[in-house]
Amino acid sequence: MQPARTERLDGPPGSLGLYGRAGLGAIPGASLLPFVGGRGSTLPDVELRLEGVEVDRERLAEYNEVCGFTLRETLPATYPHILAFPLQMKLMASGEFPFPLLGLVHLDNSIIRHRAIGAGERLDLAVRAEDLRPHPKGKAFTLVAEASVGDELVWEERGTILRRGGSNPEAERNPRPDPVPDGAQLTTQWKLGDDLGRRYAGVSGDRNPIHMHALSAKAFGFPRAIAHGMWSQARCLAQLESRTPDAVRTDASFGKPLFLPAKVGLALDEREGGEIGFALRDARGRAKDGEPSPPTEHLLGVIRPPAPNATR
Amino acid sequence: MNSQTRPAVVLASNRIPFARSNGPYAKASNQDMLTAALDGLIAAAGIAGERLGEIAGGAVLKHSRDFNLTRESLLGTRISPETPAYDVGQACGTGLETFILTANKVALGQIDSAIACGVDTTSDAPVALNEDLRKILMEANSTKSNADRAKLLAKLRPGMIVPEIPQNAEPRTGLSMGEHTAIMARDWGITREAQDELAIASHDRLAAAYEEGFEDDLVTPYLGLERDQNLRPGSTLEKLGKLKPVFGGPEGTMTAANSTPLSDGASAVLLSSEQWAKEHGLTPLARFVDAETAAVDHVGGRDGLLMAPAYAVPRMLARNELSLQDFDFYEIHEAFAAQVLSTLAAWEDPVFCHERLGLDAPLGSIDRAKLNVKGGSLAAAHPFAATGGRIVGNLAKILHENGGGRGLISICAAGGQGVVGILEA
Repeated sequence: MQPARTERLDGPPGSLGLYGRAGLGAIPGASLLPFVGGRGSTLPDVELRLEGVEVDRERLAEYNEVCGFTLRETLPATYPHILAFPLQMKLMASGEFPFPLLGLVHLDNSIIRHRAIGAGERLDLAVRAEDLRPHPKGKAFTLVAEASVGDELVWEERGTILRRGGSNPEAERNPRPDPVPDGAQLTTQWKLGDDLGRRYAGVSGDRNPIHMHALSAKAFGFPRAIAHGMWSQARCLAQLESRTPDAVRTDASFGKPLFLPAKVGLALDEREGGEIGFALRDARGRAKDGEPSPPTEHLLGVIRPPAPNATR
Repeated sequence: MNSQTRPAVVLASNRIPFARSNGPYAKASNQDMLTAALDGLIAAAGIAGERLGEIAGGAVLKHSRDFNLTRESLLGTRISPETPAYDVGQACGTGLETFILTANKVALGQIDSAIACGVDTTSDAPVALNEDLRKILMEANSTKSNADRAKLLAKLRPGMIVPEIPQNAEPRTGLSMGEHTAIMARDWGITREAQDELAIASHDRLAAAYEEGFEDDLVTPYLGLERDQNLRPGSTLEKLGKLKPVFGGPEGTMTAANSTPLSDGASAVLLSSEQWAKEHGLTPLARFVDAETAAVDHVGGRDGLLMAPAYAVPRMLARNELSLQDFDFYEIHEAFAAQVLSTLAAWEDPVFCHERLGLDAPLGSIDRAKLNVKGGSLAAAHPFAATGGRIVGNLAKILHENGGGRGLISICAAGGQGVVGILEA
């Protein structure tokens, strides 16, 4: 559904200032201030647009290194997210937005890349929030980002964002990708350092304090820093890059928080029609008291060729 | 073993534009660039998903983590992961050597298809730990007692923070390749003017090749670069004459214009049997005829460092009952203009040909209009192991467009080595 209003930006908003402002939303009562998110009960009916965005190849190279992608002339399927992220931040940190930015939980993320996107192509970006709905654990909405080259839509992303609070046991959750069997071999293992959140923050601009340091994460009730969900999705796709078609749909559902440092592994499930299911799981001891327990799963995902000519 | 051989044919080649050191590819690793060159070749030939006989590749400057560089690169491409790969190292002869190795296997019927490739970066060079520090760390690793470890710690010196940087110098002589070539230029009386003329022709011919679209299906843009960054056509003897010599002292004849700069790049060549080509709907551009490698005693000073091709070519010619003039095209790698001109001078010299090559008559001169007709390394630059693939791909296409003919490839390499070969169409 197209929003009523379109706001064209002259340049990418800086995310650092926005997080500073967003932080105020976490302070009780601050949301009454006009510039702090948290007022209102509906999503802003606006689409933010930024046109003619050029990829900074230095930043792309750094992103690829942190996520494990080969430095190619084309963009990783997750890269337009990095370009659209400042717009999403601006949207959610605006006074019109009904929730404070900090404390929102990214539940799942789905990307369609309609074709290979050259790193030299100029992208027109559009971002909006839609479909505010009850969720069993609160309220959820969909964060949409799109990238076009001229009139051609080349990339789109839909993420489900949860605002905890209240209980709606009747509400439906988003469908999750098909599971990867519990016993699937972890064909790849990664040791993740406790600086991973800071490294990914450096290349993505996502400096949410829960990712930055154990101490800042503790302030939000987490025992240690948490790896970014978007890093996890990117790292899995980087591992599968040789098998990812140019036109691809990839879904990721984020599971248990990935506390850093960590040792994780990737389990794959090859299916009909070029579909590959993947699960990012804890790779430390999996058996307790000799009893095999289900693996701790941080991400469940899938890549597959998109349905012809289909957007969602 | 099979006693019959069959033709090995070149089907396609692809490279990324070559960039100057610390330029647009400064953030790209050898693996990134090699993957990009392979991607381009796979797309051009339409062989995504194919299991090939093998991929041979290499890099002259390599990080220790890149012990399996070619195999790791292919795993990032859409070629079947069931394709085996190995790394080859023969200094600047690496690229051509990968082609010879794979072509021979195709000819013997051991494999039906292969990619020969090479890559080098001087921007992301394998800087290593200071050698003294490395030795202390190795010793500490095998030391059991804390007291002994403390003694080792006491040996640490601030100077050990200075890392070990790869040198562009011959390990056994300490002279850089340019300094070695300056000696050759002096010995063979190669003039500054002759070197500058060769450099100007190289740039003008490569620029013309781009203009006429010859490079369109040979080069795939990478990281925003569409043509070789070093390319500067339209220079003159007067302009180049103003440059100061960089090798051979103040009286030297070698400058930044008639020597190749440090650079980054990658190239790849697809080859196969005729049958495989037919089954995959690909047109053979040229076939591999023969190859030869030679080496000289540059340490003893009997020959100049880069003179080995002068020996390799006559041996190969004799085996194939050809004269030096029986070629339509000559692709002589322009590491330095002086290397090309010293080699040509040696083949014209009765004394060298008699005393060193054991020939009754000199090989003679070549028609310079047939030399590096689409430009050479002086214009494109020379990312060491990537040069062989550039030249093989170039020559195969030149021969194909010519509707037939015979071409000679000659590449000099560090350590006093030379790798040469013949293609026909």
